Amino acid sequence: MRRTIQLLSLLFFTYLFFRAAYPLSSAIPVDLFLRADPLNLLITSLAAREVVEKALPALILIVLTLLFGRFFCGFICPLGTILDLCGTFLKAEKPRFPEQLRGIKMYLLTGLTVAALFGANLLYLFDPIVILTRTFTIIFYPLSILLTNLALDGLRPLADYRGWITLTYLHYYQPLFSMSLVTGSIFIALLLLNCITPRFWCRYLCPLGALLALFARFGIFKRIVDNRCTSCMKCREVCPMGAIDDNPRRVKATECLQCRTCRIICPSDAISFRAIYSPFHEDTQRAVGITRRGFLYALSGGGMAGFFLFNDPATKNRSDKLIRPPGALPEEGFLNTCIRCSECMKVCITNTLQPSLFEGGLEGLWTPRANLRFAACEQTCNLCGSVCPTQAIRNLDLEEKKYAKIGTAVILREKCLVWEQDRACLICDEQCPYNAIVFKEVEGFRRPFVLEDKCNGCGFCEHKCPVEGEAAIVVRPLGEVRLKEGSYSEAARIANLDLREDTGDDQFSAESDE
Amino acid sequence: MPQSRTVTRRDFLKTSARAGLLLAAGSPLLSSAGRARGAIDNHLPPDLAVVTGDPEKAVLKALDLLGGMKRFVKQGQKVVIKPNMSFAKTPDEAANTSPEVVASVARACMDAGAKTVLVVDHTLQKEELCLELSGIRKSCRSVKGTHVLALNDEQFYQSVPVPRGKVLTAVKVMKEVVRCDVLINLPTAKSHSATTVSLGMKGLMGVIWDRKYFHAKVDLHQAIADLGSLIKPKLTIIDATRALLTGGPAGPGKTVTLNTIIAGIDPVAVDTYGVGIGQWYNRTFTIDQVEHIMAAHRMGLGTINLDQMRITKESL
Repeated sequence: MRRTIQLLSLLFFTYLFFRAAYPLSSAIPVDLFLRADPLNLLITSLAAREVVEKALPALILIVLTLLFGRFFCGFICPLGTILDLCGTFLKAEKPRFPEQLRGIKMYLLTGLTVAALFGANLLYLFDPIVILTRTFTIIFYPLSILLTNLALDGLRPLADYRGWITLTYLHYYQPLFSMSLVTGSIFIALLLLNCITPRFWCRYLCPLGALLALFARFGIFKRIVDNRCTSCMKCREVCPMGAIDDNPRRVKATECLQCRTCRIICPSDAISFRAIYSPFHEDTQRAVGITRRGFLYALSGGGMAGFFLFNDPATKNRSDKLIRPPGALPEEGFLNTCIRCSECMKVCITNTLQPSLFEGGLEGLWTPRANLRFAACEQTCNLCGSVCPTQAIRNLDLEEKKYAKIGTAVILREKCLVWEQDRACLICDEQCPYNAIVFKEVEGFRRPFVLEDKCNGCGFCEHKCPVEGEAAIVVRPLGEVRLKEGSYSEAARIANLDLREDTGDDQFSAESDE
Repeated sequence: MPQSRTVTRRDFLKTSARAGLLLAAGSPLLSSAGRARGAIDNHLPPDLAVVTGDPEKAVLKALDLLGGMKRFVKQGQKVVIKPNMSFAKTPDEAANTSPEVVASVARACMDAGAKTVLVVDHTLQKEELCLELSGIRKSCRSVKGTHVLALNDEQFYQSVPVPRGKVLTAVKVMKEVVRCDVLINLPTAKSHSATTVSLGMKGLMGVIWDRKYFHAKVDLHQAIADLGSLIKPKLTIIDATRALLTGGPAGPGKTVTLNTIIAGIDPVAVDTYGVGIGQWYNRTFTIDQVEHIMAAHRMGLGTINLDQMRITKESL
């Protein structure tokens, strides 16, 4: 029963993940799991200094936890399910139970909260839903496409022979992502921790579990052991969280996942789960061993981490390579609000959105950046903003998004075929959706110039530029427009940004200017 | 110095290419040069049919004037239609062929007995967006036996030698275009910043894999003509129901509603007529100003002399 619910939940998570694609038509929000994540609500709201409205569904989970305890970890959490499933293969011959580590997750929660008060959103390092969504995007998504295409390639001769035309030509775009080594390694490490202790991550590390444990103390369903108990200790062996004490009548109530495994296994039917309101029951007190010293370390650790990230001019010294998605909040707010879940990169139709390494400074790890040499930003797509669970990228309609200028194209004359070699190349002009490239006669030859006011940085020019290596026309953050609130088209009007789809004076380029 | 008989990779590729050519020669598409043109005979269908009126009716009328689709498509043949659907643009932006015209031609092919009709392009923007926004996938959904495909993976292309090429020696062409029985070229009428206009012959760049090579490495105009010496549609139909007069090929630009369909067998003649239908870039171009069509004419791929052609014009 529990396993079934777990698998269904994982399946649902996977389904929603793959529904995050063009055309976004899912009736259920594809970022549901992230939006229902209370740790995201807490940390991101603190770091961003305002309540993340999109994450308010997390309150429902909190209420449910108040009623039913940590059922989320036992039944719903997709990472927990994966760890349980992998537990079948990756398990220790002699599992160790370093109980003194159980407090780490509380310390992590403390540290994350303090860092968030400093404005550093470190959720991305420790939130299970974020880690899983990111791993799905950067690892499993391209891998699944690779395998699907391999299978299709294998079927192709047969399909061709049988005249199954759709199957003969079915081929999916292969998405590619940077940072897969780091992202994948972190995930594999999480799985391998199972080799020390089953659900090592959940027992000792997961700060979301820690946050839910705080609420679970008020949970009304408690494990009750009656006097039929023979102390056979079977329940203690099977408890996935190791929540049952040396005395099997006792349980660390806030660690209990309400999975009922102990009740099923009990040979003498001594265990029942009943509604008892007892937040100060002895069992809830024996939760996890937090020491005052450890707590102080966590406070100062979180504070230091927050300060170290704050104390870095990188966010002010913007790299020229850092082009943010259209509608991204102003950089500082963006860094505090973005949880690096990679949902925007999954949904991005051209695959231009890529996780940053150090392009955005240390604080910008895994944040989305448009790699416009690799792919352009499609002007008829605005999905990154519609799936962003924290609205670090604002949800803009297509018209507004057009004016969310992400940068300006700059011609590198020393590389340009026209400027340097007098060649008749005009691909940037041909590609530009806004006719922001014009040709003017210089030294007897027509040469390209960028009209800054007509360029919104979409990057088609950079993507299609035919020179090898870095393009001869590149989009720089120069002139980007990023608004925390208010209308982009209005801001564009004030800034004289002219992106009308009208080209009355477009000239045939082989002719001279009039 | 006699070498031992080892097969180098180069030899292997050359031999394979020759074998491919021989196989390809079996395809009527790649074999016949322009038809010999007889004396003017009014009982024969015209060389060019130009029909104005409601797009769907006009295209059917044009086919009718040329002798009906059965003249081009025989029972059980595999047909490939090459429209413009390379851009993520809606029909009113005029960067792609009108969806209803594509569907009409596809339906005419099926009615003439075609086994399958593949509507193909190598899209420049994301295929999902192009197929969706162009409206072509939707319009062809009701035409049984017709498939709308964006072939954006290299495995769907094969290298074919260009024996008459002046700047091209070989080019990677859609396999489906090589092996089909009938190719129908169905471009939309557009301006083009590099080639003045993008009509039939320029549109055929949509069936090759590496367009960048044409633009950046060789003389584009001659390359288009070279491609025309290799790929010979049985029929070229220009959809000038509306034309993108400026800002082509991608747009946005000035569009004009012409409600005109131009159809014919001679790809050079059809394109030549197309040059005259609009004020490209707000001026009148003469055919000698359009280099790629001139290059094709010089190669003998067709004629630019419209005064020697029998042109039937009809208005619905």
